[in-house]
Amino acid sequence: MVEKDMQKTENVSATERIRNVKTFVPRVDIFENKDSLFLVADMPGVDEETVDIELEKNVLTITGRVENGRIKDATMMYSEYEIGDYERVFTLSDEIDREKIVATVKNGVLRLELPKAEKVKPKKIAIQAA
Amino acid sequence: MKIRNLLPALHKPAGRDDDHTFYSLQHQMNSLFDDFFTGLGVAPRSLAPGGFGAFMPAIDVKESDKDFTIRAELPGVEEKDIEVTVTHDTVTIKGEKKEAKEDKGKNYYYMERSYGSFNRLIPLGVEADANKTEANFKNGVLNISIPKSTSAKAKGTKVPIKSS
Repeated sequence: MVEKDMQKTENVSATERIRNVKTFVPRVDIFENKDSLFLVADMPGVDEETVDIELEKNVLTITGRVENGRIKDATMMYSEYEIGDYERVFTLSDEIDREKIVATVKNGVLRLELPKAEKVKPKKIAIQAA
Repeated sequence: MKIRNLLPALHKPAGRDDDHTFYSLQHQMNSLFDDFFTGLGVAPRSLAPGGFGAFMPAIDVKESDKDFTIRAELPGVEEKDIEVTVTHDTVTIKGEKKEAKEDKGKNYYYMERSYGSFNRLIPLGVEADANKTEANFKNGVLNISIPKSTSAKAKGTKVPIKSS
């Protein structure tokens, strides 16, 4: 079996583009702690200029543009991946504090911090002695 | 490799519909090819060490008259964690994709990315000029350019055939 972890998944449902390149679904990790939800996406080839995060109503769209950088006058000996843009759509719940979303890109990895809204954070209620 | 096929739960990142008939056919074709190439010792990626879901970078290799260009996708790997070695006709890319410490032990909903150390050996077939090799790493993509050595560049001499 081919190491499937290396394969990029093509995003067949991506919105139509003017750019004539393939679109891939970036691999993501999503996890939470008590204050925030985190989304980490592997998008090799993108930087802070070429990544776009859009939040419309509660739909979060991540797109990344990758310039091809084709090497001229060379023959392919082997190719294990294709170069293309990235796109993935997530639906957020209302529990995210939209104003405080923080996004960073480093070494081709996008990291989004989505802070939970105050009202949904668990609160411990102190019990008073009667 | 075979064990994975028996444990579909292990090799399926969340959110992908690999159960689809077409994919399973593709799987079988892939394993057919892999088994074939493994015997010849040229399997490019099936022999990846590291076990289940370990990170293994995908590479592209291009060749021109003068040089080789190797490109590898290493998202989330730090520059200092990558080691590129060139011996006379082989390039080795070694490194480790580390999981950010503060991300460990959290409640995960999706876990599609993979981590771990990797080691890829790329045979070039001809002698490379190790001293002139250049590598740069930008936005998670590693680019290595390896010039061919002068002797490798020299084309074979054409031998005239005399009629007797």
